[in-house]
Amino acid sequence: MDKKTSLISKKIASLRGGIQAAATLLTNIHLPNLFKGKIYQGNAKTVCVPGLNCYSCPAATGACPIGAFQAVVGSSQFKFTYYITGFFILLGVMLGRFICGFLCPFGWFQDLLHKIPGKKFSTEKLRLLRYLKYMILFVFVIFLPIFITNSIGMGDPFFCKYICPQGVLEGAIPLSLGNTAIRSALGKLFSFKLIILIMVILLSILFYRPFCKWICPLGAIYSLFNKISFLSIKVEDDKCVGCHQCTKVCKMDVDVIKSPNHPECIRCGACMKACPKDAIHYQFIKFNDK
Amino acid sequence: MKTRRTIIMILTLCVALSFTACTGKGDVGKADSSSVSEGTEKTEDLQAKLDDLYQQENEIFEKHKDVWEKVFSKMSKADAGSDNYAEYLASTVESNKNSFTDDELKTLKEDIETIRGIEEQITEVDNKLDTSGASDSKDDDTIAFNNVSGKDFDGNDVEENLFSKNAVTVMNFWFTGCKPCVAELSKLNELNDAIKSMGGEVVGVNTDTFDGKEATIKEAKKILESQGAKYRNFALDANSDAGKYASEIMAFPTTILVDRKGNIVGEPMVGGIDNQENYDTLMKRIKSVIEADSANK
Repeated sequence: MDKKTSLISKKIASLRGGIQAAATLLTNIHLPNLFKGKIYQGNAKTVCVPGLNCYSCPAATGACPIGAFQAVVGSSQFKFTYYITGFFILLGVMLGRFICGFLCPFGWFQDLLHKIPGKKFSTEKLRLLRYLKYMILFVFVIFLPIFITNSIGMGDPFFCKYICPQGVLEGAIPLSLGNTAIRSALGKLFSFKLIILIMVILLSILFYRPFCKWICPLGAIYSLFNKISFLSIKVEDDKCVGCHQCTKVCKMDVDVIKSPNHPECIRCGACMKACPKDAIHYQFIKFNDK
Repeated sequence: MKTRRTIIMILTLCVALSFTACTGKGDVGKADSSSVSEGTEKTEDLQAKLDDLYQQENEIFEKHKDVWEKVFSKMSKADAGSDNYAEYLASTVESNKNSFTDDELKTLKEDIETIRGIEEQITEVDNKLDTSGASDSKDDDTIAFNNVSGKDFDGNDVEENLFSKNAVTVMNFWFTGCKPCVAELSKLNELNDAIKSMGGEVVGVNTDTFDGKEATIKEAKKILESQGAKYRNFALDANSDAGKYASEIMAFPTTILVDRKGNIVGEPMVGGIDNQENYDTLMKRIKSVIEADSANK
C-alpha cells in the first residue's frame, strides 16, 4: 500500500509541468479571443477558477476569485461575498496550496521563467517577506475595497487596480494589442503596473516564485488551509533516515521533515522525487494513520 | 561567466518580448485598414500634425478659459453657417459684443487671429489627408446606427429621429456597478448643458438595463439622481444596432460621437471625462463634428 502511494505521488509530481499547462489552457480556453481583443462573457464567467487568472484575459474561461471577491465587497449592493468566501474554503479544505503548485497559471509562468539558466539565489534569508502577502490580502483585498468608497458606497478593487501583475500580463497587454480604443486609454497606471510585472519577471528568473512567496493574496488564503486540507503530504517516520535531502531541494524553503504541511508548501512534490527512501508521499483525507 | 550568461538570457527575453509586441501591433494595423502601404506612415504623420494643431487651439482656449467659456455659452446654431471655425468664433463674439469688457474683447480678438492661422494650417493638412486616400479607408470602417430601439428611463420610446435632431449625439455607455462610469456622470451632465446650445446632446446607455428590466432601471435612476445627472438615459433593446454595439465594448465607460446621419465619428473614447484632459479632447472632437455638420449643409 505504502509503496503504491509513494509511486503514485512521484508520478503526480513528475507530471506537474503537464498538469500546469493543461490547467492554464483549460482556464484560458477561448484562445481566438486573444487576437480579437474581446473578452468572453458567457455563463461560465460567473464561476471562479482556482488559480490567479485575470477575468479580463480575453481567453479566460471563468473569473479570478481574488478579483471577484473585491468586485463584490466593493460594490454598493453587497457588504460581503459568501459565495467567493465559500469557494475559498471549499478549495482550501480540499487541496490547500496544491492549487499554487499545479493549477495556477501565474505560478506556472514563474516556474517557466525560473528555468531560464543563470545564477539563482536562495530566498531563505528573505523569510520575513512571506508575511507581506497576508498584509496585502488584508489591506488591498479586504479592507480598502470595503471601506474606501465613494458617496454611494462603491469601492475600487485595490489589489487588481494597483498591484496585480497577472492583470497586466493576461488582461491589459492582450486587450490593448487587440483593441485600439483601450490602447489609447493606457496611462500612468498602466506604466506603473507594467513596471511591477517586469520586476516580478526579473525576480522570478533569479528567485523561485517570488510573487507566490511574498505577494499573492490568493496563495495567502490557501496557505491558511494547508495544515488541515484533505490533501496533505506525509513523511513516513519509520522510513525516514534523516538525510534532509527533501529540505535541501525544497524551493519554498520548507523544513519538510519538521512541517511537511507548512503554509509555504505548494505541494510541488520535489521532496518526494528527492527522497532516497521514498518516505514522502501525498495522502488524501487520512489524518492520523498510526 | 555566469553573470554573462544571465545578461544574455535577459537580453534574449527582452528581444522576444519586443517581437511579440511588434507582431501584435502589426495585426491590429491590418485589422484597421485593408491597405497597409507606404502611404500609411505619411497619413500617420499628418494625423499627428493635425492632433498637434488641435492641441494648440485647445491650449489657447485653456489659457483664457473664463472668457472663452463665456463665448461658448453664447454660441447658437444660427451662427454656425460659415465653414471657417475662426470666422464662426469671430461672429459669435461680434454678435455678443456687449457682454464682454474691452480687455476681454482684446484677448478674444488676438486669440481668434492665432486660431485663424492654425485653422489655415488645419485646412491644408486636411486637404493633404483627403488626397492621400486616408479618408477612403475610413469610410469603409464607418459603423452606422440604423435602429436604436428601446425606451428612456421614464418609459417613453426612443424617438426614431434621435440622431437627426442634433448635429452631434454624445453616446455614453455605462453600467450601474462601474465606479469610473458613475464618477463621470456629473461631468457628463455639465457637458450636456454646455453643448445643448451648440446643437449637441448627451445621452446615456446603461448596459444593465437592456430590454427594460424594471429593477435595474430603478437602480440606475437612483444613481443618476445621486450624481445630479439630468440628461436622458436609455434602456435599449439588446438586439438593436446600438445594443449590439454595446455588447462588443470591452472597457467602460466608453463614449462615442454620432453624427446627424447616425454614423459613429472617429474612434470610441475609453475612460471618464472627469479627467480634464479627456474632457478637453472630447469637447474638441464634438466641436469638429458640429463644424463638419454646418459645412455640409
